[in-house]
Amino acid sequence: MPLATPHAAAPPRSGASQLGIADELLALLRDTTTESRPDTQLEALTLAVAADLPVLLWGEPGIGKTAALTQLAAALDLPLTTVIASVHEPSDFAGLPIVGDDPAERGVPMAPPDWAVRLARAGRGLLFLDELSTAAPAVQAALLRLVLERRVGALRLPPGVRIVAAANPRSSAADGWELSPPLANRFVHLQWTHDHEVVVRGLGGTWPRATLPRLDARRLPEAVDFARRAVCGLLAARPGLTHRLPTGEANRGGAWPSPRSWEMTLRLIAFATAADSSREVLSLLVRGAVGDGPGLELLASLDRLDLPDPEDLLADPAGASLPERGDLRQAALDAVVAAVRARPDESRWDAAWSLLANAVETGAPDLVVVPATTLATLRREGWEVPAAIERLAGAVSLSRRADIAATRSAAGGGGR
Amino acid sequence: MSAGQPGALDRGKLFAARLHAVRARPYLASALFALHVVESHRVPTMAVDRHWRVYASPAFVDRTPVEELAGVWVHEVSHLLRDHHGRGDRFAREHGLTGPGERLRMNIAADCEINDDAFGDGLARPEGAVTPAALGLRGGELMEDYLRQFRLGARTQEFAWLECGSGADGREREWDLGPDGAHGLSDQERDAVRFRVAQGIVGNPGDAPAGWRRWAEEAFHPPQPWRELLGAAVRSAASGSGAGGDYSYGRPARRSAGVPGAVLPSLRRRPPRVAVVIDTSGSVSDAELGSALREVAAIARAVGGRRDLVTVLSCDAAVHRVDPLCRAEGIALAGGGGTDLRAGFTKALRVRPGPDVIVALTDGQTPWPDSRPPCRTVVGLFDRRTAHRPDHYRPFAAPSWARVVTIG
Repeated sequence: MPLATPHAAAPPRSGASQLGIADELLALLRDTTTESRPDTQLEALTLAVAADLPVLLWGEPGIGKTAALTQLAAALDLPLTTVIASVHEPSDFAGLPIVGDDPAERGVPMAPPDWAVRLARAGRGLLFLDELSTAAPAVQAALLRLVLERRVGALRLPPGVRIVAAANPRSSAADGWELSPPLANRFVHLQWTHDHEVVVRGLGGTWPRATLPRLDARRLPEAVDFARRAVCGLLAARPGLTHRLPTGEANRGGAWPSPRSWEMTLRLIAFATAADSSREVLSLLVRGAVGDGPGLELLASLDRLDLPDPEDLLADPAGASLPERGDLRQAALDAVVAAVRARPDESRWDAAWSLLANAVETGAPDLVVVPATTLATLRREGWEVPAAIERLAGAVSLSRRADIAATRSAAGGGGR
Repeated sequence: MSAGQPGALDRGKLFAARLHAVRARPYLASALFALHVVESHRVPTMAVDRHWRVYASPAFVDRTPVEELAGVWVHEVSHLLRDHHGRGDRFAREHGLTGPGERLRMNIAADCEINDDAFGDGLARPEGAVTPAALGLRGGELMEDYLRQFRLGARTQEFAWLECGSGADGREREWDLGPDGAHGLSDQERDAVRFRVAQGIVGNPGDAPAGWRRWAEEAFHPPQPWRELLGAAVRSAASGSGAGGDYSYGRPARRSAGVPGAVLPSLRRRPPRVAVVIDTSGSVSDAELGSALREVAAIARAVGGRRDLVTVLSCDAAVHRVDPLCRAEGIALAGGGGTDLRAGFTKALRVRPGPDVIVALTDGQTPWPDSRPPCRTVVGLFDRRTAHRPDHYRPFAAPSWARVVTIG
């Protein structure tokens, strides 16, 4: 190396300034921007935490759970306390037994750790219990009491403290972590995954900035009403879904339906409605509370709640607007025909025909064929054939064409 | 029906075909109706994207008879219902596959999964539909199985034009309207449609062929990898109270010295003793036993069990051998007659000190002990519902006190 030529601008190359340059480099690396991007899982987490339900994040280590919690804390304006469960002992959560002068008389108090005292004193905060699954069973037992009863030793955490726990999936948990069904039933289970695209863009310097849901104060009564209707409507029709213990090894430790988790679901629907969240967010929450099957049934019945009321359609067939999506449109038309069948009279029958005629003209004609066939069989003696049937000619010839094709393929081979 | 001006899509014909498909396969009705038709001159035939749009070439619709078009409808909607694009993406990620050639292979494998039982019974087979038989493969398997069994080559040459769109293999096409285009279905809507179809099939199992029934049962409860389940069961049994590492107040922690006045528990580790009872009756194959045994040994090691704490008993109607695992890497398994695992349980429990966990590996064709054994029990059950012996298999109810993992 050549001797450094003395130069006024050249900084002296001493050890201390090397660190200074390193700091400069680090600052450059930290210099990232953010972009707004919808984030379904973060939105679901925010709503569940706002609804004060115990949340369990299932996710592999190193996929940004902590970063998400930082965003969540900022959104809810709460100070964040992270506790890594696996480096603690059970007494850190159950309280340290302190033997005093006269244990028989005064008892042995269970002293809480310092972070719990600080949280209790602050009165509000977000407590993140990370790495639940790598802690020893006794530590996990102590932690569950903390999550579910909000007690640390003799101390009770104030209601302003919200708690989120994180665990590794069962397949990668090394030492026997597993939730028993009663415990699993107390949590909203959210699967935490990383989005490849977000990570690549983030490493390139642009991290996502999630716009988080805001509850709309004016919509609260409406939200409660909607949530009650949704859950009660489903459970009235499907009593078997009210309580169903998980059977089999595959769905152990996950969400399952019980009156408790349905109550959680009701709360989650109300929060999602008040925040005007998308169905994707609601889907994550509901499936996280009662499990995939019952959750999907609930969402399907919400779709039906969204369908236009058949009586409204019959009352004003000309001005009726039918759903765009084919399967929903067919469900709406089926409901109309069922309504006519339930209370048949000529004017309703006529109205249904003009609705079907509208449907043929505004959408795919094939999905009108089955409702039309059924409607035709509902005709009573003396009812005039309405003029609207003329407009269904397209559907009729379509149906005939399908019949011919059916005959041909039944005959075998199919005509070329 | 008129086709309108020449070169335009004959929607009437396409919808007549869909109606025929719905009549032939009523359980697919909501899925078929949920598809949105897009006219496209760039697709060779018909293709779907992952947002449930179906792209149709006017020329293809013109030259194809209605009954074959109905078959194409069912074929394309099957790609979407069976989530071939998602599964293709996952497979590509897991196996590091890239490039259009691999995606073509996925398209062919996905077609094989669909076509082996999609047609017939009122639905005509479209011309040129690829079947497992055409590739010299067995029918009734899944896309992932087929992907492991063939390479692109002379046999697949005639399918090189095959094009079912991004909904079939996950590779975006230039004609795709993408997630922001009109009439696409969101994730949640797609799940809802798939769920409704699955429910319809489960509710009326008589109507649907076996392949669809299997799909419906597994659509929202995919079979779990048995290795992980067995591992979780054995781990949780072995690390329950009394075994494994846990805190105990029996002896104070060394940390107590630093906190005068406080009593702290210390971490104690007692490695679990595992007894493996293996059903060696004629009905269990050596390969199955070998893989399950390897698994249990690996798990026992992972939970901190020393290998000498794992005992293996081979058992049919009587117990033949008791081996500590350390002596026998390739354990000689004796037996081959009928099964009575009760003898194995008795023997395993007679060993002193008693085991913390009994793992029974069996096909379930055995009587079980009447009462719950005094330790945790995990039963690894070999699944016999596969194609090999479907009929005379009679599953025995596993006892309620055991945790049961289906293997295979």
